Amino acid sequence: MKKWQQHIRPWLVKYLALPSDVMLELPRITIIGQIHVYIENHQGLETYSDTELKLKTNKGFIRITGSAFVLKMMLPEEILLEGTISDVTFIPD
Amino acid sequence: MRYKQGALMTGYVTILIKGDRPELFFQKCMRQGILVWNIKKTADDACIGSVRLHDVKELKTIKRKTNHKLTFIDKKGCPFLIKRFTKKRQLMLGLVISVMLIIFLSNIIWEVQITGVPTEVEEKISKQLDEYGVHSGAWIFTLDEPTAIQDQLIKDVPELLWVGVEQKGTTFYLEGVEKSVVEEKESTGPQHLVATKKGVIKNMYVSEGLPRVAVNDYVEPGDVLVSGIINEENEDSEEGEEDKERQLDLVAADGDITATTWYEVSVNVPLGGDYEMLSGNQEKKYYISLGNLRFPIWGLGNPDYEDIHRETNETPIHFLKWQLPVTFIDTTLSEKLYHSVERTKEEAINTGIMQAKNELQLQLGPESQIISEKVLHETTERGKVKLNLYISVEENIAKAEPIEPLSQGD
Repeated sequence: MKKWQQHIRPWLVKYLALPSDVMLELPRITIIGQIHVYIENHQGLETYSDTELKLKTNKGFIRITGSAFVLKMMLPEEILLEGTISDVTFIPD
Repeated sequence: MRYKQGALMTGYVTILIKGDRPELFFQKCMRQGILVWNIKKTADDACIGSVRLHDVKELKTIKRKTNHKLTFIDKKGCPFLIKRFTKKRQLMLGLVISVMLIIFLSNIIWEVQITGVPTEVEEKISKQLDEYGVHSGAWIFTLDEPTAIQDQLIKDVPELLWVGVEQKGTTFYLEGVEKSVVEEKESTGPQHLVATKKGVIKNMYVSEGLPRVAVNDYVEPGDVLVSGIINEENEDSEEGEEDKERQLDLVAADGDITATTWYEVSVNVPLGGDYEMLSGNQEKKYYISLGNLRFPIWGLGNPDYEDIHRETNETPIHFLKWQLPVTFIDTTLSEKLYHSVERTKEEAINTGIMQAKNELQLQLGPESQIISEKVLHETTERGKVKLNLYISVEENIAKAEPIEPLSQGD
């Protein structure tokens, strides 16, 4: 049953032009220059420090590095990070 | 920044979390639906963040399940400010009372200053003002408008020619001009008396000068009535005999010359008319208004008059020299009655004649006398009577005109 769902979703995205982040439960990351990162659809905080933010997502982790990090806002599934960003990396499971 | 909206109003606290992996504490808060912002990691085992005041209770239940240490390091927002203020209740009470006192005192007359008149008149004025209730210590909004006081003062103090009343803050400034009794006759230069209107001379009284017209003469405007040159005739007769350069005797001609003059006036009188009258029944209402809002203080309920004439007086309330947006309003509701009249043609003619006479009398002044009137022509059309009247009047037509210094020698 789960396999079948996982197959039908990319198909829906492709042929019905549905937004991929919603359909596939993937994070949506908006970056404004070097100063803001806005992440929706994440699944929890893994590590957070002045220079690093690691978020759990559907398939693995997102790791953001930089300096002077402040979490401007934290809501379930939404995070707004402020600071100087130097790296955004995806780490698959 | 929607997360911060209203946070200052409802208050928020900044918390410091200490322990192993402090960010996980915030992670838990997030799961519980608590909004956290401005999270900063200050050290490896310390993290600060801001939470709304009403989430603090839940924060404590989360804290019990973890082994983090929680400290409140800052409090901000209205609830804390109010709490701090209410702790100093005497101070607040004193503040409110002093503001009320200042408002109270700002609406009292402190001083009445009268300038520009001698002391006797000044005393008289201040006595009158006392009668109107204008004296130091009186409420400003129980008083009339400055312009009304002005009119009243001129009526009641006959010595005053003009008075300016101005209210500046809590002081009334009055500036008066005394009527100076002008010398009856100022010696003027030589002058003729000249007619100003055409008419038939009815009466002549010449106190100075040589009359040039007689009773029952018809005069046109500009005609010399009384000459200021006395020995003019001599000049004519003795022409050539004496020097032309001899001095003419010039005087200031003076006298009363009354003439019968006439006017043609046309008036329109409607045969029927409506007018409204106040029956004399009235009620008063008092409000305090703030912007567009009105709070009644006295006189609730409306009188059961059919038609109401409203008269509203607004008096602003002052705070020191500033005017507050609060005003004191008193309204007088008077009963209005409508009357309609139907006039016969004869009555309309009579009213028309009366009206015309009154108007003319007003125009000419009290010294003129209307002797007779005659209807020259009358027409009735569209419910109106149109009258052409011939009115004869007895009035003084003389006007002084200075004699130009004659160019002598030719």
